[in-house]
Formats: sequence, C-alpha cells, structure tokens
Amino acid sequence: MGAMEIVNFYLVPGIVVGSIYALGAVGITLVFAILRYAHLAHGDLATLGAFLALAVVTLGGVSPYVALPVAMAVTAAVAVGIDRTFYAYLRERPKIVTVMASLGVALMVRAVVQIVWGVDSQTYTRGIVRPENWFGIRIRDRELITVLAMVGLVVALQLFLKYSKWGKAMRAMSDNPDLALLSGVDNRKVVLLTWTIVGALCAAAGVFLGLNYELKAMMGWSMLLPMFAAAILGGVGRVEGAVLGGLIVGIAEEMSALVLPTEYKAATAFAILLLMLLVRPTGLLKGKVL
Amino acid sequence: MSDILDMRDVVGGYGEADILQGVTLRAAPSEIVVIVGPNGAGKSTAMKAIFGLLHVRGGTIRVDGADVTGLEPNRIVEAGVCYVPQVNNVFREMTVHENLEMGAFLRSGDLSAAYDRVYALFPDLKERRKALAGNLSGGQRQMVAMGRALMLEPKLLLLDEPTAGLSPKYMEQIFQICRDVRDTGVTILLVEQHAKQALAFADRGYVLASGANRHEGTGAELLADEDVAAMFLGG
Repeated sequence: MGAMEIVNFYLVPGIVVGSIYALGAVGITLVFAILRYAHLAHGDLATLGAFLALAVVTLGGVSPYVALPVAMAVTAAVAVGIDRTFYAYLRERPKIVTVMASLGVALMVRAVVQIVWGVDSQTYTRGIVRPENWFGIRIRDRELITVLAMVGLVVALQLFLKYSKWGKAMRAMSDNPDLALLSGVDNRKVVLLTWTIVGALCAAAGVFLGLNYELKAMMGWSMLLPMFAAAILGGVGRVEGAVLGGLIVGIAEEMSALVLPTEYKAATAFAILLLMLLVRPTGLLKGKVL
Repeated sequence: MSDILDMRDVVGGYGEADILQGVTLRAAPSEIVVIVGPNGAGKSTAMKAIFGLLHVRGGTIRVDGADVTGLEPNRIVEAGVCYVPQVNNVFREMTVHENLEMGAFLRSGDLSAAYDRVYALFPDLKERRKALAGNLSGGQRQMVAMGRALMLEPKLLLLDEPTAGLSPKYMEQIFQICRDVRDTGVTILLVEQHAKQALAFADRGYVLASGANRHEGTGAELLADEDVAAMFLGG
C-alpha cells in the first residue's frame, strides 16, 4: 500500500473523526475541571444536537451548516435545563451520585431522540459527495469544514477563557474553587456558562458526526469512550490537550485498521485510555489528578 | 472613630460542637491586631467566623458599623472584608497579574490605580507579573495572595498565618508589608504562630485559649505579661 493510500484512507478520516472527538473531549474536560465529575450524558447530548439540526434541515429546507448554530443554541439551553433539573440538586452530594444521574439523563435523552426521530439511520443530505483532489490527497468539503470548524470553535473558546472576565472566572473556579468563591465569583453563573459552552460543543460534535457518517440514536453514546479517552489523554482541564487527545485517538482508531480487524477500532480508544491511566494519569499536558 | 471590627461574644463552630465559646475582638481603623494562642485555641476559627465561613450561634459581628453576622462570604467581601487563607491562597495556574485581576472580580471600571498600588507594595510581583503563581516561591506566593486581597481595597484585611513555613527573612518582609498596608489606611487582623515576633510588631494583640479570650493589650503589654509568657511563648 502506498503512502497516498494511507493518507487518504486512514490519516484523513482519522483527523476528521479526531476533530469530532476533540469537540466532545473539550466539553468533557471543562465539566471535569469546573464541576468535577464525569458527565456520561455527553454523547447523548451530541446525539440530540445532531437530530435537532436534522429537524432544522428538514423543516426549514436549509443546509446543515445553517442548522448548526441553531442546534448549538438549543442544545446549550437543554444542557442548562438538565443541569437545573437534575444536577443542581446533587451539587452538595458525593460526585459519584451526579455521575450516576448523568447516566440516567443519557438514557432519557436517547429515549426522547428515539421517540421523536425513530431508530432508523438518517442523513442530512442524500447522494454521494465526490471528494476534491488536492495534489493526490482526497478531501471532501464537509471533512475540511469539520476540521476548520473544530479549530475555529476551540480558538474562540481559548480566547474567551484567556481574555474575558467570565472566562477567567471559569479558569479560577477550575484552579481553586474556594478562593474563587472568596473572590466573589458567583458559582451559579460559572456553572450556567459552563453548561452553555458544553452544550453548544456537544451539538457541534453531533452535527459533524452526522454530517460525515449518519444519524442514529446510538451515535453519541458510541462516541463516549473515545471522547473520555481523548480528554484524559490530553490532561484533564486542558482544552488544548483535549484537542490533541481527540486527534490522537481518532487517528489511532483509523490507523489500527491497518493491523487489526476493523471491529477492534473501538478497543483502540479503550487501550489508549488504560495505558494513559497506568503510565501518566495526569495526561500529556499535565492536567488535574482526579 | 468607630471600630472597623467589632466582634462580641461570638459562639460557633463548623458542625454541632462550638469551637468558639465567646470571643470578643476589636480593631480600630489603621491598626494591626494579632491573634495568638496555643494550637486549638480557635485563632483561625475566630477569623473564619468574621468571614462567614462558620455557623455563628451567638454574638454579633460588625464591620465598620454594619452587622455582617451570618452573611455569606461574598456579601462580607462587599462589606469591605478580604480574607487570605493560610494554604491554597493563590490561583496556581493563572499569572500573577490574573490573580490580582481575580481579586478585583467584584469591581468594575478603571483598575489601573489599584494595580499600581499593589505593585508599589510588592515590586517583586511587578517583575514577575506574567509568571504563573504556582511557579513562585512561598514568600512571593504569599505576596500574590495579599495583593489579590488588596485589589478590592478592603477596610479590613484578614490574614491567616501569613508567615507559616516562611524563612525569617521573608517573615520580616511580610511584617513590613503589613505595616505599609496599614499605613495606606487598611486595618489588619492576623493570626500568628510566631507569637513573640508577631506581638513585637503588632499594634495590639489578643491571646485566645480554648475558644475564648484570655488576654488582650498592646503587643508590648502582652510580651511583658508573665502569664502570657509562661503559657504561650515558652518563657
């Protein structure tokens, strides 16, 4: 097999799926860092976002790229609502209670998706898209847009965290919650902001997954493990680490098909996760120890 | 002039048991008041009571005339009180400058005067303003913690063992900074393990034991008191 085949059939799809994982992993790492629990409904929120975009596409007759911001906004609102309805009551309890609650939320969100949109696979647009040829590297428009959108969203998030008042408050809450409260930071606002961002990122991950593959009720859930692997690989609390982790997990999954049967793709993420926890539990970029 | 801090007969604790059995503390404007006492005397607990981190079951706490008894910490910050905890008192992953910025979180408008004031007090920090607070030495971290608290221009600054774990050189420096801060019109209440040095530098002191007042007076008076010397200062 030539180098071009490896790039076209393994590396490019790896970067695309890695970008999708990265969008999810950034949200997971934010929840870990600021709220301090593993959010198991993350994948199913992504599913919801993807199907909300489908609703906009079918009802409004618009392109999925127009539906994307709508889906991000609605999913952000849903995430905030879920927090208010379920997680807010458990904030003073041991974190494992919230983790279990988020599993329940995952099942509920998925059930809603199945009731509203059914259990069959769906797509945003019909027909086959021919990839563009860039000097032998074949990339579809949607693949390019997926990667660019991920980079754009992450850069915007980083600028927000680095320079804005409330972005700094989020970092402060992640760094030293007691001191943040002593400084007068309103925890409820930080939680609200975190879920808004996390919900929007979930929807983006779901829409791009649906765009590059297909929409089905289990799509987000099956992405949960690679997303967690990516967040832990990059270092918990590290946004840039989550991106790096997402890309590594995505590329490793696709590349594993070179040497392993494709059914073992999912096991690759699990293997990376286990290896990382054993060898370097703080992640590549030295995140928090959980 | 009325007292900045007027804490009377405060009884309270973290859970069911009362650690404070009636503590009375006062501090006048621009005064350094130190709390000393043996381990478990309730020194830090008394300070946390002022800042609303304790269940206060009896007594009253007034700051500059306003009753703050039982308020949430963020309301007490608004009343003009800033608190520097003994440990974990900086944002380690944020720069020195960002730490100061977080200190001024509740303020809006132009903060350049506040930054200038803090950087004038701590010239070391100005040089290292872009460094992560977690990478600084213990003494410099303590300066960041104090600087962060001073950004709100508090009336009353609470310092919980600011010299714990610092070398004598840094201890002297922190005490000098306390005097400089006091001279800008801030009242300082601090808890100290190093009783002798602290009483020597403070304007007034309280000796607590078993969650209650034992002695009070100027630093010199307490240092001269035989009972105080024998009980807490090791002769």
